[in-house]
Amino acid sequence: MAPRLTERTQAVLFAAVLMTAIAGLYGTTILLQPAPVRVHAVGSVRLDVEGAGWSIRYAPDATNNNTVFGLLLEASAKFGFTVAYLTYQIPQGVFVTAINGSMNGEGGRYWQYWVNGAYGTVAADHAALHDDDVVLWSFAASVEGL
Amino acid sequence: MAGRLRRAAVAGLGDARTRILGVFLIVVAVLGTVVLRAFANFETVFVAALLAGSLLGRWWTILVPVAALAVLQSLDWTTYGGYGLQAMIGLSFFIVSGYVFVGILGRRVRPRIMFRVSSVALLTTISVPLTIAYDLWTASGEWYFITRPLGITWDLMLKGQLPFTLYHLLSSLIFVPLFGTAFLFLHAYGWPARFRGIAPSRPMDRP
Repeated sequence: MAPRLTERTQAVLFAAVLMTAIAGLYGTTILLQPAPVRVHAVGSVRLDVEGAGWSIRYAPDATNNNTVFGLLLEASAKFGFTVAYLTYQIPQGVFVTAINGSMNGEGGRYWQYWVNGAYGTVAADHAALHDDDVVLWSFAASVEGL
Repeated sequence: MAGRLRRAAVAGLGDARTRILGVFLIVVAVLGTVVLRAFANFETVFVAALLAGSLLGRWWTILVPVAALAVLQSLDWTTYGGYGLQAMIGLSFFIVSGYVFVGILGRRVRPRIMFRVSSVALLTTISVPLTIAYDLWTASGEWYFITRPLGITWDLMLKGQLPFTLYHLLSSLIFVPLFGTAFLFLHAYGWPARFRGIAPSRPMDRP
């Protein structure tokens, strides 16, 4: 019969196994994080924001805000409309909750974005823009394009 | 009638220390989850439900998850209420029943729980399959009420769920041993105020 381990030995063994499991899982979650977008200038991008009964168009010649979220914030600073959002650490990214006073959930509609007609599948601050891209933010009920 | 209700409440809620620990678990569940809101699936309701079942038992097995979720779900309803009443009721059903199940399973291991490393290890070990089962259960609810009407398949839903289950497992592996050790100690030995009766009644430097 194997000798019974002391409480101290059990605690050390348990801590070692637990730390290994936590480190492994943490490493995996870090690997699953989306890669950050490198800042660089993009030209001729266009932003359309379509709310409930209103719309905004912004088309700078060039910008260093080369993400879907960055362009939206730039437009909000330029035209003076509000953007509310939550920042998540895990998974990394922002979740836009309101634009220009229209809040997610009103009338069963939520803010969603498309780039060149393709539905956004990553957080808006991780969606990189390229020259001539067209971004649409729409206050829509259904997830079209999936 | 009132006396019978009082006796039932006394029996259901336990002694003063059990009640304090029960309320403390509810507070931990609510505050921990609110504070960790920026970290998806990092929450303290799971550990609170597990500890309520395994350490406190009685009514607390159900009361801790249900009371915590009454607060947390009302916050979620204000954020995600746009999905509609039926979808939100359905989602809340899956979430509440999932955590109640965690509490009930904690109740099943109760006789083996003492302030020992093996008890913390046991709670931590069962938290792994329990977290996966909970995530599968709630993912089913989310698929049925939210994503299935949008044409998303069960397979795709599970694939999308995978990283969030990893986050949830990480949460359980951190919080179950952490709070488990603290609550096992409190449950076994109480806290300093409990021994007030044997403490000196006046400062030591006075005659």
